[in-house]
Amino acid sequence: MSDSLVPLVLSLADDELVLGHRHSEWTGYAPHIEEDVAFSSIAQDEIGHATALYQLVGELTGDDPDHLALGREPDDYRNATICERPNGDWAFTLARHWLYDHADSVRLESLEGSSNQELAALVHKIRREERYHLIHAEAWVKRVAHGPVEGRTKLIDAMAAAWAEIGGIFEEIDGEEKAVYQGELPTPTAELHRTFQERTIAALDELGLPTEIHSRADEQAEFVASSSGDLIAGRESPNGEQTDPLSGRGGRRGKHSGDFDQLWETMTGQYRAHPGARW
Amino acid sequence: MEVYEVFRRAGHKEPFEHCGAVIAPDSDMALLMAKECFLRRREGNHIWVARRSDIHSFEDESLLEIAADKSYRFAEAYRGVVDKREKARRRAQEIASS
Amino acid sequence: MTYEEKLARFTDKVNGGDKVETTDWMPDDYRNGVLKFIEMHANSEIMGALPERECLPAAPSLKRKMSLCAKIQDEVGHAQLLYRVAEDLGKSRDAMYYDLVTGKSKFHNVFHYPVKHWGDVAIIGWLIDGAALVTQAALLDSSYAPYTRVLKRICAEEQLHLRHGEDITLELASGTDAQREMFQEALGRWWLAIIHFFGPRSNVDKDLLLRWKVKTRTNEDLRQEFLDRYVPKVLELGFQFPTPVPFHDEATGHWLINEDDIDWGPLDAIKKNQGPETARRLSTRLEMYEGHRWVREAMAEPSIAAA
Repeated sequence: MSDSLVPLVLSLADDELVLGHRHSEWTGYAPHIEEDVAFSSIAQDEIGHATALYQLVGELTGDDPDHLALGREPDDYRNATICERPNGDWAFTLARHWLYDHADSVRLESLEGSSNQELAALVHKIRREERYHLIHAEAWVKRVAHGPVEGRTKLIDAMAAAWAEIGGIFEEIDGEEKAVYQGELPTPTAELHRTFQERTIAALDELGLPTEIHSRADEQAEFVASSSGDLIAGRESPNGEQTDPLSGRGGRRGKHSGDFDQLWETMTGQYRAHPGARW
Repeated sequence: MEVYEVFRRAGHKEPFEHCGAVIAPDSDMALLMAKECFLRRREGNHIWVARRSDIHSFEDESLLEIAADKSYRFAEAYRGVVDKREKARRRAQEIASS
Repeated sequence: MTYEEKLARFTDKVNGGDKVETTDWMPDDYRNGVLKFIEMHANSEIMGALPERECLPAAPSLKRKMSLCAKIQDEVGHAQLLYRVAEDLGKSRDAMYYDLVTGKSKFHNVFHYPVKHWGDVAIIGWLIDGAALVTQAALLDSSYAPYTRVLKRICAEEQLHLRHGEDITLELASGTDAQREMFQEALGRWWLAIIHFFGPRSNVDKDLLLRWKVKTRTNEDLRQEFLDRYVPKVLELGFQFPTPVPFHDEATGHWLINEDDIDWGPLDAIKKNQGPETARRLSTRLEMYEGHRWVREAMAEPSIAAA
């Protein structure tokens, strides 16, 4: 057992649970009936991956997977901010789905080579479903990007909003140095982030989407990072929330947005109200 | 000439099933051919033909596999219901007698 | 052939137990009746997704979170199957969906009610799905063949849902006092609506759908089957029914309710789309529908080639 493995696996599990939770909110409401069915499977996949990852954590810590998923305090969750944001409309959901599944595939590619055999084997299994998620996201994004102007415009705006926070997926994980040294995390998160950016910027380009989607957010991030070096000092976001200047970060340290508090209340309330109950 | 895939159905309640293919110049001829090739022993009451080139499939069908645990989508996941019924009945009896 | 001859031949065919396909000749009464019936069934599947969906975010375990999500997904899948069958009778899915979200058409009474907690999931998954399965299984021999073919799959999935719902019920029934109270409280709220679900007694002479064998059994017959099957199961778990309280009739062996005890008022309101949750659920759907016109437009584009 290793103390650097737990935060690594928890960050993966919490991302999948929280995003799976958001995805599942579309079940029964999606703007297209066949897509409602399709997207529900993706939600179930993500929650299923979270379950398997919590089981792995449980083997290390002795914790019950349901307790890990539904019984922790808000600042114990390690998901990235982007996962907890409300679904908004289908454009934001789609943009986040596309960016997240690209990000996920970059980190899973690396983790399949983890020195921890159990994690590597689990990631191998998860990747089979994530491959489909990416094909699904790609098909939709392509259709909307090349479709009528209203949808395309909404997609561009949503993509820019999601891009501004997607970097949080690659925020440094507690004990990362050790995890990298031990080969549990074969590639440092900063390097994964670069791979992700190269790949998605090229993909956005190929889709004919404007560079403003990523250039503005990245300039801002670079400016703040180099001028102050202090990543904690906040910048005022449009809704008045204090967010990290490298926007979308904080989740890996248990710092979440107000959106998470609401999600947490809803998601964990019934479980917490009945300690020890079987369902 | 084109390949037409042939589908037949036993009765109104059944789904169409693929049963073979014929090579024909058009759909009318394909139907006539299919009738004798695939239904001459009353194997069905209905027949369809469709141009093979109009049929699409995934290039990579491993996408259709269910990779992770989806046991909850199958009846086997609820086999425990018989034991649970017994347990719930006992709980109800305890409450009634207390 | 004159219209009368065609009609006589069609009537003979249906009375003889033969099935009707979309491409067959059918009288307008039949077409419209079947269309309306299947449209209402489809509407009910898609609206039926909502009460459970409202319970989904608070699912109390990972397993239940996934299985409830999968169950609602199946209901949406049923709507997909049914709208497709209805569409072939001459009304587009978009038109049906628009009529639904603007309150012009109907959906089953039970989906007009609010949900409060996990006890609702047990009631919906076990008793309401149980009631639905009784009515749907009776339609497997309907005269409209395309409907029976999709019902086959729907009923198979409903069987699974029933297991899922009973499983949830049994965990509550054998759980803590608070969990048992969840089921009991929900049963108290839902029972009358479940009785309403089957509708008032059928008027066999006037009911066109019965005459054309689209439906094969009367409302009261279906309700009786439901009561006989489920009332003893609920009672042996130690729960109590509110009015109309079922009682066992020794002479016939049936579980009966006193029909005079049924207050039809709430059902009358729901028939006018004035149920407790009708406006809220429909307006959420309408908002989604109008805000996502661009999605339908993007999906309507012909093949989009790589740029």
